[in-house]
Amino acid sequence: VNAVHVHVRLGREAYAIPVTHVREVLDIGAITPLPGSGDHVLGLRSLRGHVVPVFDLATLLQTRDRGEPARLCVAERAGSVAGLAVDEVTDVAGLPDEGDPVESPLVERSTLADGRLVGVIDADELFAELDRRGGR
Amino acid sequence: VTGEDEFLDIFREEAAERLDTIDGLLVGLEASDGDPDAVDALFREFHTIKGAAGVVGFDDLHRLAHAAEDLLATARRTGAPLSAVGDALFRAAGELRAALAGEAPRETGVVDELGRLSTAVAAGAPMPFAHTSAAATATANPAPPAPRSVAPAAPVPPAPAPEHAIRVPAGKLDQLLDLVGETVLQRRRLVREFEHDRAPVTHELADQIALADRLFGELQESAVNMRTVPVRSVTGPFPRAVREIALDEGKQAELDLIGGDTELDRVILERIVDPLVHLLRNAVHHGIEPPAEREAAGKPPLGLIELRAEQRGALVEITVADDGRGVPEHVLAESGQGVTLADILARAGFSTAGAVTDVAGRGVGLDAVKRQVESLGGRLEAHSRPGVGTEISLLVPLTLALLEVLLAERGDQVIALPLASVLEVAHAGSSHELGGRRSLELRGEVLPMADLADLLGIDAPALAEEPPALVTAVAAGQAALLCDAVIGKEEAMVRPFGPSLAGLRTYMGATVLGDGRVALIADPGAIVDIPLARATRETSARPSAEEKPGHTVLVVEDSLTVRALQRSILASAGYDVEVAADGVEALDCIRRHRGIALVVADIDMPRMDGIALVEAIRADAGHAALPVVLVTARTGEDDRRRAMRAGADVYLEKAHFDQDALLGAVERLIGR
Repeated sequence: VNAVHVHVRLGREAYAIPVTHVREVLDIGAITPLPGSGDHVLGLRSLRGHVVPVFDLATLLQTRDRGEPARLCVAERAGSVAGLAVDEVTDVAGLPDEGDPVESPLVERSTLADGRLVGVIDADELFAELDRRGGR
Repeated sequence: VTGEDEFLDIFREEAAERLDTIDGLLVGLEASDGDPDAVDALFREFHTIKGAAGVVGFDDLHRLAHAAEDLLATARRTGAPLSAVGDALFRAAGELRAALAGEAPRETGVVDELGRLSTAVAAGAPMPFAHTSAAATATANPAPPAPRSVAPAAPVPPAPAPEHAIRVPAGKLDQLLDLVGETVLQRRRLVREFEHDRAPVTHELADQIALADRLFGELQESAVNMRTVPVRSVTGPFPRAVREIALDEGKQAELDLIGGDTELDRVILERIVDPLVHLLRNAVHHGIEPPAEREAAGKPPLGLIELRAEQRGALVEITVADDGRGVPEHVLAESGQGVTLADILARAGFSTAGAVTDVAGRGVGLDAVKRQVESLGGRLEAHSRPGVGTEISLLVPLTLALLEVLLAERGDQVIALPLASVLEVAHAGSSHELGGRRSLELRGEVLPMADLADLLGIDAPALAEEPPALVTAVAAGQAALLCDAVIGKEEAMVRPFGPSLAGLRTYMGATVLGDGRVALIADPGAIVDIPLARATRETSARPSAEEKPGHTVLVVEDSLTVRALQRSILASAGYDVEVAADGVEALDCIRRHRGIALVVADIDMPRMDGIALVEAIRADAGHAALPVVLVTARTGEDDRRRAMRAGADVYLEKAHFDQDALLGAVERLIGR
């Protein structure tokens, strides 16, 4: 079974988010900074009258290589909404179910897709981590 | 058992809704005989009615629901066809409905019939009732009225002829209010655009615009009204709480409720229940004198405390007034210079009572009350006359749906402050600096002054020479907050931060402005100290009362009636209370809310029951030691053993449920 994922690029690294947790993808747009918040918080963005918190996925995943966030994956879990800033959305496609365990608690496994190593993000863990930090 | 009208109303509403569900399920059973999910659902509905009826003291209803539940349990156990018991259950539901409507009790026949049927089903005997449709049964097979063998229990008092009401999930209402708010704001933007265009406005057009204005205003008002509830809906247990607190202290006090019909946004009311309980406790403890002292002062020995609610424009004022000893002269003399009496009384650790007693030493202080009120965009006021009494008022907005804010600019940020907190806009002309602390002189008063950028941590260039100053009531007292420019007043839809930003307590949330920009709404209640000029730019929020460990009790219960009752009993006793509707919600709450000190849970709940909840808590390394009280409508010894084996600390039966048993258990476990 090949579950569909949104494939994103952060610097030179490739990650994938289960499509079931992604509500939409859009340009990063105007972000209002949130004074007093932690490094992983980029700020707030308005989305059709609502306010969505925007987080820096590269900081959360502690990627080695920093790029330039240009796109926003609006992720959703149990009513919570979070904008995840990424450099680029490369594809929306299936990923093989198997893979190898990874050290990062936010990455469920790593798997090879088209000859590239892709980190598959564990959306539940990611949201749990965001709630734990509470923006600080 | 508290017999307050409010709980009876909640119970009636809940039971009526569950009876509708039961009717639906029974009709469904005729079509799909024996669907186990439907049987479980039926069982749960009767069971919940039974539990809630026991708690509010309706013994007739309790017995009826119990008999129906028994019959279902027997049928489920023996695998008897449900068509055989359907009619009897229909009749039980009908009797429950009649009893709810306050008709004379006549249920004994049905209870006996259900019992006989249950015995027959258990024995595998042929079914005594042929399967007929419910309608036919109702007329063709009336239950013979049996002589009552037991003394009549308190009959359900007749319900007041109700205005037809429906229950709507709160989320749906919030969504509607949200949409109405957005619509009103959008219309205002359109009119502004229109006026900017300077298009020739004819009389006719002006009339149309005025009409639309009025309609939108009415739409907004009726939408807001849907979420308002009378203050009375939370004050039920207060009189008794006041009497008991007074008794504990060897005093006499009575509570008078005035203006209980005053209506307020449910969301706001829920958040000021705990502050109100605290004010009442303070009134008894700090205000009311012991009887001998009162008599010596020429007062009646019985102290009087008034709880008054009154609407004042867009605000609701709720006052707790006592006729006690008042605040001493020397304390009153400290107010002025930007420090109000409320500020002084709210100073952490401040106490006008001679000794610290059980009452003063626990729970939230007046500082937390003040912070809570300010976080709602309101303010706290205090007045006192020595020897005559003290009045403390909460002024809170009527609704949170649209909050009036003042917009200010600092750096590239737009910061909104609740308008109710801003006392005036001044110019920081004559300012002083002393040891790094800046202050503003305003009409002879000296106010502490701070750059909004320092306060919130905004990265911004230096302020202009004479910047605008917002004189604001913050947790620390009154302060002049400096900014680059004041943009003006606006009505804002408050978008509170979700859990992923819940740690940022300096903000009430954010709002989207007319031009699409996002403004941060500062929380004056979180500004507890005024930073030094050019100090390191850090936010000065401090953990709120919710985070103080030790006093928050989580009530887990799927019945609305029981939940409301337990919540108010615990809140009246001075505990902070969180609620959850089932085990899944409860676990989530325990993991997210670090301050939960004890869990009071029902056993029978959808999704995750009380037993599974206890097991999950015991298996969770972070919370394994959390005390759990299980409250249940079950009565078997097996159930008690099962609950204790799972790791419950205390097991209470709803049939014997009373306020003292619950409070006693809670007190023993988290020993105040």
